[in-house]
Amino acid sequence: MISPLLASLLLAATQAHVATPDGEDVAAAPLEAAPLDAAEPAPPDAGEAEPASPGDGGVVAKAADEDEEYGPFFEPDPPSDTSFATQPRKKGERDGKAPVLSVRNGALCFVDGSHCKVSLLADATVAAGLRAPASNKGPDMPYAHFGFRGGFVLRPLMLARRTSSDEGRTRRFTDGWHPWGVGVVGSWTLGTGAVVVEATDDGLDKADTERTPAVRVGLVNQLWLSQRPHAMHLDFTLGGVRSPVLTSGVPLIGTHAEVAFGWGGWGAVYAAGDFLDQDTRVSFGFRGHAIAAGPLVALAILGAALGGAL
Amino acid sequence: MIVAISSSLGSLSSLSSLSSLVMAAALLAPEGAPPVQRPVTTPEAGTPAPDATPTEAPAEESSDASGEVPGDGAAEPTSTEATAEPAPAPAEVAPEAEAAAEPEPAAEEGVLHVATERPGPPYYTEEDLAELRARHEVAVESPPPREPARWRCLIADPTCRHSVELQALGGYALRARQGDVSQNITDRWHSARAQYDLWVSLPALVETEGKSRYTRMSLGPKGGVIFSDGGDLWGNLGIAARYWLGRGRWAPNIEVTSALSFKLGSRVGNDVQEERFRMQRGPVGFQADVGFGLGGFGAIVLGGQYDSPLAREDVPEEYRVVSSGMFYVGFRGNILWGGPAAAAVAAHAGTRGAQRP
Repeated sequence: MISPLLASLLLAATQAHVATPDGEDVAAAPLEAAPLDAAEPAPPDAGEAEPASPGDGGVVAKAADEDEEYGPFFEPDPPSDTSFATQPRKKGERDGKAPVLSVRNGALCFVDGSHCKVSLLADATVAAGLRAPASNKGPDMPYAHFGFRGGFVLRPLMLARRTSSDEGRTRRFTDGWHPWGVGVVGSWTLGTGAVVVEATDDGLDKADTERTPAVRVGLVNQLWLSQRPHAMHLDFTLGGVRSPVLTSGVPLIGTHAEVAFGWGGWGAVYAAGDFLDQDTRVSFGFRGHAIAAGPLVALAILGAALGGAL
Repeated sequence: MIVAISSSLGSLSSLSSLSSLVMAAALLAPEGAPPVQRPVTTPEAGTPAPDATPTEAPAEESSDASGEVPGDGAAEPTSTEATAEPAPAPAEVAPEAEAAAEPEPAAEEGVLHVATERPGPPYYTEEDLAELRARHEVAVESPPPREPARWRCLIADPTCRHSVELQALGGYALRARQGDVSQNITDRWHSARAQYDLWVSLPALVETEGKSRYTRMSLGPKGGVIFSDGGDLWGNLGIAARYWLGRGRWAPNIEVTSALSFKLGSRVGNDVQEERFRMQRGPVGFQADVGFGLGGFGAIVLGGQYDSPLAREDVPEEYRVVSSGMFYVGFRGNILWGGPAAAAVAAHAGTRGAQRP
């Protein structure tokens, strides 16, 4: 017996190309979509069965989605049998995928997310590491800082797809996703002071500073690792830093580099380095979104004031 | 199976010869076979298939009784061999084999008798599924999902996949610091500890009940600041884990955190400089605690912190740091409902009364 699938394939092959009166060669039956029973040869006594397409044995072969837009990219997540009772994202305009704290289904997000096209960055950070002066400027010393960062990131290819609204593709592509994001960030940190120990003819010359402010501007490139809410992403930042070098009190411009591993826009851990003349600082830190860090900072300042620390 | 047929007949000399004959019969079959055969279920299930019985079916059943018709009708479904079988075998041995395998000739052409269903896998129908449920004591209806958590998981809940938590801790701290090493003296004093952290709790262990999913264990990064008396300020970054012991809104849970902690500043002064809050460096230490909580609302926490010393030979003495630490017990919880925030600020304010040796 010829299996139904084989029968359908044979029929599809025989009518794969049909010349129209205009001379165009169109695919008349690209794929089987009719029920399998219909693809099987009709019995001789089934004369009442009306052939849908004369001349092809009464078999309708048509793709189920032939009349619809179809593409292999950026399909929405398949529904799952099980789910959490509490959804992490608010209901979107179409598919419930709108990131939290966003407008227009992720067109602008106040907390960076997997499906955000443009996101604002604002966070607070603490970090600890090492301050390594030049070899003749003294020993390596512990270094730590706290600070704040702001900026924005956007997904260029998601934005580009949004504009290709021809042939009714706008709906599908506005729900798209792309792993690459790029943006500009600026930050300010207040770090621990520097210690310089130099050997002179009169002995050791020691000097220190109380604090080390630093201002940075950088270009951040994001690589999102999945489309899930609070998805993990890698951020690579390269830029410049302006900060007083050691105990000189003279702010110089150096290079700033950072690699961060983030969870959505809520938090991230990072390793960063500031490379200035004779003054290198490397640190490992954590930063949290300002919406979350703001109340904590307010509580900390309130407590410090009540506790007499300020 | 073919060997069984040959042994029951006793007329075949070798397995290869029979295979070739059956193959030849299969190739010639379409000429003599009816145009189309469709599976038709007949009321009498035990009626043997007259001309389209698969070769395997009688062989299995007739291994002990040659040529006996399968009584339960447990025949194979329609297959290619079944349609090819009824052709008259061209070889001289084939009629004997066919006669033995199909003792009753075809009664009606073009009808394929299909065996009735029998219990056992595969399971398709609702009756099958009901039997499976009964066997494994599975409820027919999945339990309804628990009501979702409020606040979009800003307060942790087992129904949350992720949660972003603002945690505040306030409690008592027994602080200690290395004193005069030559006399083995350690300075100890009573103080308070206030800590403000951001937790990003990710699902590390998830379980399913019906169609509802629950987080059993969450694990994620956390970071924040720690305060104590004298304006001491540390930063910390680490991980926080929570193991849920239930699924309700007030489900008990066990919290475990550990983090690197590092000095950021303190309120210091001397004869030259006035006393005020200043940045202060220190090596990286660590802190860890364990707590028992209810829901994501609050937990009783017991923990400790250690600050590493900085005593290298190449560091001038005035920049060295002695080792220190604290044990603490306190109340930690989400600031959104107010209680933990008030406790933390109160503990922070209480550091004013600490007497540092």
